[in-house]
Amino acid sequence: MNRMPVIIVGIFLTFLSSWLGLVAYPYLTLGRFTPVTDEATGDINPPTLSGLAVRGQRVYASAGCIYCHSQQVRQVGYGSDLERGWGARPTVARDYMRENPVFLGTMRTGPDLTNIGARQSSAMWHHQHLYQPTVVSPGSIMPSYRYLYVTQKIQGQRSARAIDLLPPDNAPEGYEIVPSAEAEALVAYLLSLNRNYPLPEAPEPPQ
Amino acid sequence: MPRPAAPPTAAEDKIERAEIDASTRLPVVLFYGSAIFWLLVGSFFALLASLKMNNPHFLDQWGWLTFGRVRPAHLNAVAYGWASSAAIGTGLWLMARLCRVPLRYSKLVIGAAIFWNLGVLLGTFGILAGDGRSIEWLEFPNYASGMLFVAYGLIAVWGVLMFRFRQPGHVYVSQWYLLAAFLWFPWLYSTANILLNFEPIQGGAQGAVNWWYGHNALGLWFTPIGLATAYYLIPKVLGRPIHSYYLSILGFWTLALFYSWNGMHHLIGGPFPAWMISASVVASIMMFIPVITTAINHHMTVRGNFGALKWSPTLRFTVFGAMCYTLASVQGSFMAIPSLNVITHFTHYTVGHAHLGLYAFFTMIMFGAMYYILPRVVGWEWPSARLIRWHFWLVAIGIGVMVVALTIGGILQGLALLDPGITFMASLDYTKPWLLIRSGSGILLTAGHIVFAVSFCLLLFKVGAKRTEPTLFGTDQGREPEPLNR
Amino acid sequence: MIDEPHQDGPQPDTFEAHRESDDLNVRDVHGAILREKDDPRDGYEPIPLWLVSGFMALVFWAGAYLAYNSGGFQSTVFDPSQVAWAGGGAGAQKAPPDPKVVGKRLFTANCVACHQATGLGVPGQFPTLVGSEWVVDGGDWHGDNHLVKILLHGLAGPIQVKGNTYNGAMPAWKQLKDDQIAAILTYIRSEWGNADDPITAEQVAKMREETASQTEPYTQAQLQAIPAIEYGPPAPAAADPAAAPASAPPAGAPAAPATPGA
Repeated sequence: MNRMPVIIVGIFLTFLSSWLGLVAYPYLTLGRFTPVTDEATGDINPPTLSGLAVRGQRVYASAGCIYCHSQQVRQVGYGSDLERGWGARPTVARDYMRENPVFLGTMRTGPDLTNIGARQSSAMWHHQHLYQPTVVSPGSIMPSYRYLYVTQKIQGQRSARAIDLLPPDNAPEGYEIVPSAEAEALVAYLLSLNRNYPLPEAPEPPQ
Repeated sequence: MPRPAAPPTAAEDKIERAEIDASTRLPVVLFYGSAIFWLLVGSFFALLASLKMNNPHFLDQWGWLTFGRVRPAHLNAVAYGWASSAAIGTGLWLMARLCRVPLRYSKLVIGAAIFWNLGVLLGTFGILAGDGRSIEWLEFPNYASGMLFVAYGLIAVWGVLMFRFRQPGHVYVSQWYLLAAFLWFPWLYSTANILLNFEPIQGGAQGAVNWWYGHNALGLWFTPIGLATAYYLIPKVLGRPIHSYYLSILGFWTLALFYSWNGMHHLIGGPFPAWMISASVVASIMMFIPVITTAINHHMTVRGNFGALKWSPTLRFTVFGAMCYTLASVQGSFMAIPSLNVITHFTHYTVGHAHLGLYAFFTMIMFGAMYYILPRVVGWEWPSARLIRWHFWLVAIGIGVMVVALTIGGILQGLALLDPGITFMASLDYTKPWLLIRSGSGILLTAGHIVFAVSFCLLLFKVGAKRTEPTLFGTDQGREPEPLNR
Repeated sequence: MIDEPHQDGPQPDTFEAHRESDDLNVRDVHGAILREKDDPRDGYEPIPLWLVSGFMALVFWAGAYLAYNSGGFQSTVFDPSQVAWAGGGAGAQKAPPDPKVVGKRLFTANCVACHQATGLGVPGQFPTLVGSEWVVDGGDWHGDNHLVKILLHGLAGPIQVKGNTYNGAMPAWKQLKDDQIAAILTYIRSEWGNADDPITAEQVAKMREETASQTEPYTQAQLQAIPAIEYGPPAPAAADPAAAPASAPPAGAPAAPATPGA
């Protein structure tokens, strides 16, 4: 008996079932969202990203932040994400409709970043943390991203964009640390990370 | 349909095998050689990444060596450079031998091997340069993944064609797994790359496609090749039949049906409809069926002959791998249970599990395959039993220590993360000593790989005196193999 | 690679005689191949019964798990602990926001340019809404139906509001949705000291349908010719315009002459 057609058909059909369930179905139901207008405030949710923040997504991907940080707030009663203040509500698929690529992540060597823009709204804090993470967060094993920053000679007056380093680090005498365009973009993206707005399918959890 | 020829005599059999081995020589040696090269490269990146987790200031001045790039460079070098190349070399040789057809027009396959390596090279160094996509298992920039797909197309066509033009006769279980792997992988790779990298779909759906691919690369590409190899080598070396044809059928079809639905277990608790997550949890538990089935099949085939592991490198590596297949899969099924997953998700436990699967199962079986196949295609026995022994113990102890360290560290980390009263930094502190031990295990593993690479080079360049006997464990210590129980 | 008894050891001449090609190093490969065993073959042991029973039990468990943890297979249910059976709502819908909050937002966006945030308007130009007989029931010719008509189709020509004359033009707002118009009207009827029943989206929808042929803004005279209808407080289930006083003719039928823009 020629087994080949039987095996090929079986191979095809079993695989097709998962393709339908885990590729086609998500595309149809989770891949064609439109934003929702909040009746009470008139906001469009999820909010659009500024051009700088979209560039920041590229920097986030290029630097590989997902290998230590996740971006998902899990369901009520599933893990302590909400209790840790990582979000006001669990995240749902529509929250990620403007993310490309999506940075859900699978490791929490560092904390979840879904709402980092809400937790840390200071750009200076983000620049300092990227430059000297083990000083800003003692005990952290996050590497320094100083390759995203430029050490330049102070020309006359100090640049308005220069960042202040926390001791014991400091810029060399007569020099200042200025973020590169990539660093500015990355921080703009991090500041945009705030999913505390309501969505029809994402109710506020009971207190 | 031609009348099946009379079964070949022993002598004709051996000529046929010699001819087949000769036809596969260059492709297999090329794929194996590049696999071993990428194993060294991948091990180097792994060690670097592990050391950076012990000391974050280590080599952090440059963007191209930042942890977030070195870690995906490691993953892709070992997944597409080492593991896939080894899989292709093994798969082509096995399919040729089992179908009893020589690999014709092998120069095209050689071209595919070169193209494949070029793709991995461009991709890995593209990641270090900052072009990485940060989509797990699919980090290669488009210029590299496109090359891989084209190269693989040729390989898959050859694999399927050999099956199509096989000699008439019984189709053995390994051939089903090989055929399936050759057909599933291009579908997986092209779909995922198109939907995530070339024409990305909206973010809400990307995670599902990402992990449909990521898990199926393991379950429908590496696992079938690994199982096909184990199903061939174990009975072949022992000269015994596989225990049960019916168990083989059950194992194959339940694997095909359930494994492909597992993907969402990487996203339990995540932003996806509840039914998708639950479907993957169910599929992950149902994997007990093919895994236990295969374990029984292998165990009952070896039973009474475990003494052979003292002598045969092939068997030792392969049986080690097959046992770890059972272990890793059972562990995986339990990890998918939500009440356990809430502890292990996002922790180093998952990393330990991944290495139990891709290293302790798949890589060890590939080592076994190489120890068996290379003497046949190169025409030279392994020059040093001592090197083989060092290789085995370095990597066996290395992977054992690594998995145990990451498992313990991961559980501690997970339990700490679950308790909101424990600060996040404290959860990190729990992992630090175990990550240090992991770096130590990485040194053992890298050393083992260097030993193997040396061994391979000595074989390739036919160093030393010509042997007529196989290189078995113990021959360097003057011991003789014991007879087998039939 | 366990040693097995050789049949006859390697005999290069015999094998060479069978070979047509000569450059395949067949002799070199023979060493390993000679001692090889036959290719693997299948045994035919049956599948153990305990295995089959175990698997059937797993299948049963799988079905039960899926039934209880799949949120009714809805794409909007993200929490597996939520069991949404057929007929249940998809996900937990948020309660619709307070219409007054929505109304205030829409009023601010659309109406304050003329009527001001205080609702007082601009003397001589835009009429006040505060305590206005047009907005809250004053027992005169003005009715709730007139208010809805004005929002839908606008108001033009001289009008009297609280003893003052205004001669402006209020544009039509029919491009707003029914629930939005209802929200605005509800807001102005409960803000700044005003107190009157809310207007519902259903009432607006019905009026929109009835006045579909209206193309020009109303004049005061046209509206005065239409008898007033007070909708009254909305019923708990839904507002029902038929609950209006039965003395009125079918609500909102324009009794004015058909010629537009009179």
